[in-house]
Amino acid sequence: MSIEVRNVTKRFGDFVALEDVTVSLPTGQLTALLGPSGGGKSTLLRIIAGLDTADEGTIDIEGTEATNLPARKRNVGFVFQHYAVFKHMTVAKNVAFGLEIRKRPKDEIEHRVDELLRLVHLQQFAHRLPSQLSGGQRQRMALARALAVEPKVLLLDEPFGALDAKVRRELREWLRRLHDEVHVTTVFVTHDQEEALEVSDEIVVINEGRVEQIGSPDDLYDHPANDFVMGFLGEVTTVNGQKVRPHDVDISTTPILAGAAQGTISRVLRVGFQVRVNVLTDGGEDVTVELTKSHANALGLGEGTTVWVTPTPGSIPRMVEKAG
Amino acid sequence: MLWFSLLVLIPLAAVVVKSAEGGWGTFADAVTNRQTFAALRLTVLTSVGVTALNMVMGTIIAWVLVRDRFPGKAILDLVIDIPFALPTIVAGLVLLALYGPTSPIGVHAANTRLAVFLAIAFVTLPFIVRTVQPVLEEMERDVEEAAASLGASRFTTFRRIILPTLAPAIFAGAALSFARGISEYGSLVLLSGNLPYRTEVTSVRMLTYLEGGDTASAAAVATILLVVALLAIVTLDVIQRRVARRG
Amino acid sequence: MASAVLEETRPRDPHPRATPRPPREGHPAVTWGLRLLVVAYLFFLVVWPTSLVAKNTFANGFDGIQGALDDPDVVHALTLSGQVAVAAVLINLVFGVGMALLLVRFDFPGKRVLNALIDVPLSVSPVVVGLALVLVYSGRYGWFGPWLEGQGLQVVFAKPGIIMATAFVALPLVIREVVPVLEDMGDDQEQAARSLGANAWQTFWRITVPGIKWAVVYGVVLCLARSLGEFGAVKVVAGNVGGESTTAPMLVQQKYQNFQQETAYSVSFMLAFAAVLCLIVVALLRPKEPKK
Repeated sequence: MSIEVRNVTKRFGDFVALEDVTVSLPTGQLTALLGPSGGGKSTLLRIIAGLDTADEGTIDIEGTEATNLPARKRNVGFVFQHYAVFKHMTVAKNVAFGLEIRKRPKDEIEHRVDELLRLVHLQQFAHRLPSQLSGGQRQRMALARALAVEPKVLLLDEPFGALDAKVRRELREWLRRLHDEVHVTTVFVTHDQEEALEVSDEIVVINEGRVEQIGSPDDLYDHPANDFVMGFLGEVTTVNGQKVRPHDVDISTTPILAGAAQGTISRVLRVGFQVRVNVLTDGGEDVTVELTKSHANALGLGEGTTVWVTPTPGSIPRMVEKAG
Repeated sequence: MLWFSLLVLIPLAAVVVKSAEGGWGTFADAVTNRQTFAALRLTVLTSVGVTALNMVMGTIIAWVLVRDRFPGKAILDLVIDIPFALPTIVAGLVLLALYGPTSPIGVHAANTRLAVFLAIAFVTLPFIVRTVQPVLEEMERDVEEAAASLGASRFTTFRRIILPTLAPAIFAGAALSFARGISEYGSLVLLSGNLPYRTEVTSVRMLTYLEGGDTASAAAVATILLVVALLAIVTLDVIQRRVARRG
Repeated sequence: MASAVLEETRPRDPHPRATPRPPREGHPAVTWGLRLLVVAYLFFLVVWPTSLVAKNTFANGFDGIQGALDDPDVVHALTLSGQVAVAAVLINLVFGVGMALLLVRFDFPGKRVLNALIDVPLSVSPVVVGLALVLVYSGRYGWFGPWLEGQGLQVVFAKPGIIMATAFVALPLVIREVVPVLEDMGDDQEQAARSLGANAWQTFWRITVPGIKWAVVYGVVLCLARSLGEFGAVKVVAGNVGGESTTAPMLVQQKYQNFQQETAYSVSFMLAFAAVLCLIVVALLRPKEPKK
């Protein structure tokens, strides 16, 4: 295990940011800390990096007790949401910073910087100032800068949060491939469940200062430990008192489905290749159903159509709605 | 911190302590002294007058500097800072050159209250201009255009939209300008003639006490000035905080 | 590994600014009226009087300046003012930057009060400043003065006092220039440097100083202008001991009241020239500030 967080608690005044958090983050993996904003995940990352200190609890990094080490001695790479580029230095100088601090020989620095800029596809921008780069380019530079010092772990705080949707998606895929190449233990914070599900080997869901669940993306999606995790990882709708994903609802225009609830379609919305249908059941539930456009067309669904809905047999996750 | 204490805090405290040392007696004597009272009244009233003028002129100047465009504007921008950078004694001499006995335009204002007014107006000129200017620059033109599109005339837009936005900056600048006005000394030495009861300001009065060796009375007057200056700063801070809360 | 989508060769402006719009057309009469009012006001209050000093100085060509420079009192006063200004600027540079860092980067009880007190020197009468320093450091009855005198250091009526008075008055200038820049910069870059292994000293010199460089330069130039010309506070602290502790602005007063107006104007012109020069330096430097 690469990073061991034990019983960490952090308060800001009356606000409890982290409450008795214990997590093990495996070596060589790409782990996502996922949760809503203000849930404590960034605080946890900053405590691991040594940029904040825990009120209680301990941190081990690669077998070294790091709880009281200052940030500069932990040998971690940190990438900030707003890049934190050194505005007055060129791209190459930014990347070289950590190596210069460590007083490495000049030709080694030069060689390493060149190698890293190649890795992040910025070699032609080496002598530009950061202000001449786009947001995505700056973040790649920040990543190269963090990797330059060969950190034991790489920590990324909402690394793509300030970028627009398209660049985000590109960088996300790229980060996954980069990780497969360099294999450094990586932890990144995100509030975007799609990002976490797509990129990471393991996800730690954090909410209101507590760990809700730890597991692989599939694990979490299919076997959420509780309502919160289920709701946070994807959309949820309720049919016959059971919580399921909207694409796990079967719909038909004839009562052939056993135990199906009868209802009337209140709204049909086309979203690209998908169709979202809202069904108001006689039992008073508002069920959301997602199906493909062709399926919807084949069934001839429209507002006012009487339909029968039921959870797809064998679909997971499936949870019984709590009383009250 | 220690340096700040040694340089600023302890000496200022000493002034207050000194004025209290003599008991209320010295304090009351100094304050009720007719000559001192006249000086205080002149100083405060003139500063109020100048500040009022600055609130109007400062805003207009800032407006012209931000919104208007004409050749030589950059120089005008530089001119604003001259009163701030010029040594005060030189400022006095400068005004004396135009409004003194050798005035080329025949205005002989030296040794009159007008001279006091002029000198204070000169040294406090930059304050409101420089607080209003950045606010005006940051103000979004969209808001004005929105007002115009809703049918507001330019005057209404100014009164209902622009002025309220600028008001905090104007008041903040006014507080600075007032504080500076009541404490002015250097520029008045040569210009006002320091005639007791007529053109003698508080700072000059204090110096007279000091030169006469009456540090207690000087400290008493100084305390009054400090209180007035502090009041101005507190007002400024309150206004700034209110702005921050609104924004 | 190579991915075509990442090869953005054209740097994009990350913060596209709205294209500057021309000023909205106002009523020409209003525009011209305001323009004229402002120009006239500034002309009568500032420009004309200031230019008259130059005119009076050069009424007899360079004789005035030459005559002034031949006067040993003038030379002495100018030298003293120069030394005092440089000393005060150095002090304010170190403590100004230190206090700005303290105010922006650290939390401590009384921070708000300190923040408000920083401006005090700007709004307190220079005479009060002088009086305050005399009360504490006077060799005869000050709080610390007698002890310091015992250590062989005379403050009031000597150079240290003049330097202190000048530093007092000009203290806020550096702080007020540096604080907003530090706030604007945020501590992201400093944290990044720390996470890359830099210690506090390295972070300060490699990251913080380059970031506030220009603000410090403006602060220092403004501070210099102010320090050269401080009159009231210095006058109180320096006392009337004659030539020894007479600074240039004090000399202007003495010469003017002794009816040596030409010398007074000449020294004034030199002081004004230095001040305006400082302003021009600042004005020229400002646009070089890296735009955000």
